Amino acid sequence: MKKRISRKKVIKIKLVIMVVLALSVVFLTLFAGVIAKNDPYQTCATSIRTAPCVDYPFGTDNLGRCIFARVLYGGRTTIAATFALVFISFAIGTVIGMVCGYFGGIIDRILMRLADITLGFPQMVVAIAVAGILGGGIKSAMIALGITMWVSFARLARSHTFSIRSAAFVQTARFAGKNDAYIIMVHVFPNLLAPVLTNALTQIGTTMIGLSGLSFLGLGVIPPAAEWGSMISEARAYIQIAPWAVIYPSVATIITIIIFNYLGDVIMDYREVR
Amino acid sequence: MEHILKGINLNKTFGTKDQNIQALKDVDFYLDEGELLGIAGESGSGKSTLLNVISGLIRPDSGELFYREQEYTGKDPAHTGRFLQMIFQDAKSSFDPRFTMECSLLESRRKKTDRDALCGILKEVGLDEKLLKRKASELSGGQCQRMSIARALYSEADILLCDEITSALDVSSQAQVVEILKKLNVERKLSAIFVSHDIALLSTLCTRIMVMKDGQVVEQGLTTDVIGTPGNEYTKLLIESARKQSL
Repeated sequence: MKKRISRKKVIKIKLVIMVVLALSVVFLTLFAGVIAKNDPYQTCATSIRTAPCVDYPFGTDNLGRCIFARVLYGGRTTIAATFALVFISFAIGTVIGMVCGYFGGIIDRILMRLADITLGFPQMVVAIAVAGILGGGIKSAMIALGITMWVSFARLARSHTFSIRSAAFVQTARFAGKNDAYIIMVHVFPNLLAPVLTNALTQIGTTMIGLSGLSFLGLGVIPPAAEWGSMISEARAYIQIAPWAVIYPSVATIITIIIFNYLGDVIMDYREVR
Repeated sequence: MEHILKGINLNKTFGTKDQNIQALKDVDFYLDEGELLGIAGESGSGKSTLLNVISGLIRPDSGELFYREQEYTGKDPAHTGRFLQMIFQDAKSSFDPRFTMECSLLESRRKKTDRDALCGILKEVGLDEKLLKRKASELSGGQCQRMSIARALYSEADILLCDEITSALDVSSQAQVVEILKKLNVERKLSAIFVSHDIALLSTLCTRIMVMKDGQVVEQGLTTDVIGTPGNEYTKLLIESARKQSL
């Protein structure tokens, strides 16, 4: 007889697979120095635009640099910057959302109108404008994207705080003489952490696209630093001669974004069936 | 005689610019030590608003509240929690879903943790100590409600305010909770106010009943008098519908 696997079990299996894949990507970039035998910044006049071979598994670029090493090191830059940006936006947005949702009043009205105004502009357009003003560099790119990123966290945290604030267990804590700081730290924050963290995971893919996009436009990482977006941008000039120089960083970007987006979806499914 | 709790001329209006709803109109009440007072009325009669005003969750527009002759009008739950505790209709939602029962009960106490007292209270409400390690989602509705009563007792509050505490329970759990409250009233001289739309339930539990309609107290008196010889048409209607339901 054919055994039916429950939806919960399927989602658990998917979750394990996605976590393993996401961790693999992180570890691959973290241990780039051990995995890649070539220096990502070492130019070689005799190996310019070499096709993938044993010495250079992903080939070389216009300056003879190993693309395999640059993809791994570039991933480190992209992933570290993405995680840092998502974490900072998560922290700022969550604090703002909790303060607005819990205390309400004039602070809530001012900050939420600011959020509405921020949402009124397309994120990438604002990011390009801000990065253009601030100049190149990964920090400028992060600030440019972060200006609009906190909003989704703030709105989500606010709506959850709003419902938790009036929950009976919070009223009970008030009867026990607990102050606002205690209630926010012990009851509100831990109870909204799961949905906001899930949102953070789904933001990883979008942020990666944003950072790589800015680097591609020359507003992110400045060459010769390795970063997937800037690698694609540099190599597109000679795509017909050495397509591998564009293909490998593009594939790395796409695979990583798919993994983290899908991980976010699976975590949302897992929270539903848990 | 000194009343443990007293409210004089309480008024509360909710509303917007266009529409105002007066939830409480000149409500007077009192509660004596060791007394179980029932507040009956249909949905929207103002009984839960009265309980929220007494507890400090809502400020009255006017009127005065006294605990042992000390005025506490306008004080918040951080103050009123020293002498009263609310027990909510949905007991599960009154426990943080992440907390074990032990954490929730310990949090409710302002004084030093007393493990022996906690175990004693759990026995009084007929619960096993092992349940302290569980979360609200792992308990039945009846167990959660009894745990709420245990929490209120452990906080050493003098008065319990019970808002429709049996309406979400099955018949056997309702009976258990009622029996526990009766026992606590005899053994601990527990003072409590029960809000319920079920006048039949209140008549089995409370020594005195207050009937509310449209934010006003339409009748109050000893349970035997209110149930036996109701003086108000609305009270008669409530009793009649309770009789029909029990048939």
